[in-house]
Amino acid sequence: MDINKAVQLDAARALITALEADDDQQAQQQLVILTQSKESELFHEVGKLTRELHEAMSNFNVDSRLVDLTTNDMPNTRERLNYVITTTEDAAHKTLEFIDNTLPLASELKQTADNIEQSWHRFRMKEMNADEFRSMSKEIEAYLPEVKQHSDQIHANLSEMMLAQGFQDLTGQVIRQVISLVEEVEDNLVRLVKIAGTHVEDKPKNDKPVDPIKAEGPQINASDNPNVVNDQDEVDDLLSSLGF
Amino acid sequence: MKILIVDDFSTMRRIIKNLLRDLGFNNTVEADDGLTALPILQAGGIDFLVTDWNMPGMQGIDLLKAVRADEKLATTPVLMVTAETKREQIITAAQAGVNGYVVKPFTAATLKEKIDKIFERIDAQ
Repeated sequence: MDINKAVQLDAARALITALEADDDQQAQQQLVILTQSKESELFHEVGKLTRELHEAMSNFNVDSRLVDLTTNDMPNTRERLNYVITTTEDAAHKTLEFIDNTLPLASELKQTADNIEQSWHRFRMKEMNADEFRSMSKEIEAYLPEVKQHSDQIHANLSEMMLAQGFQDLTGQVIRQVISLVEEVEDNLVRLVKIAGTHVEDKPKNDKPVDPIKAEGPQINASDNPNVVNDQDEVDDLLSSLGF
Repeated sequence: MKILIVDDFSTMRRIIKNLLRDLGFNNTVEADDGLTALPILQAGGIDFLVTDWNMPGMQGIDLLKAVRADEKLATTPVLMVTAETKREQIITAAQAGVNGYVVKPFTAATLKEKIDKIFERIDAQ
């Protein structure tokens, strides 16, 4: 650029001298030199811009993680979020169903207890004849095993309701994965903005080493993946095949 | 019988704690990952360890390895209760010396069965 500037200065000085000396031919010649040097500067700038654009485009291509994110991780995330919906829905239905099954048991117990209480009161007030007393005795005799049965059933139903709350752990693991994906997308978008604006400083790593036992949380499409077991029976089979 | 329950989700710890209580195990302590579980184990008095796999900090598989590598803790029975279902993972856990592997979501019956089996084997030794 300095050489160019020197050429321009020389030409400018020579132009003034030529004009003062009324040397038209010399003035014309110096003008041509000046214009040419300006043009070459313009070409240089255009060249520089072209190269920058080319580099930006290549950087854009190099960032395959972003492509991977959009083609693989995004659809995968959609599946994960759908898994969260189905899992929470199932858990809610399961819990509500056990509540539906439990409420009548409690009502029945209360109803029979009310009846017996009334009869008992009449018995204590000596308002009961022998037949009525025998009938009350039978009622009490039938009621006691019913209390035991119903209580067992209520206990079992409550245990099931408690187990259904495991959805919070399962969906929580999946939501954590989605959060980390969102963070990664954010990072990549910031990088993309940097590339679009100026040069990219750091190229992303493309190949993450694969760890076969890395914790992944619940498998979303277990039945589509032969490397994943589907239930407790398959776990037991696998372990016993290994001699455990 | 003192049992340590390790899971990063408090809901799951609570579920396991309640199920264990139903099975007659009333003495339980809790930790939310391997890093907090190890000092509890090293302090002594834990007879049985129930742990999740996927946890921040120290994962269940690393906790299992740490327990097996520690002379004083090496024989502690360990039950893994986890949503991790890849074959490599189950095999790795088995090779690391896990005593039982229960996949989430699980039933009360499954948990009971695996715990019974673990203690049957210990009693047989």
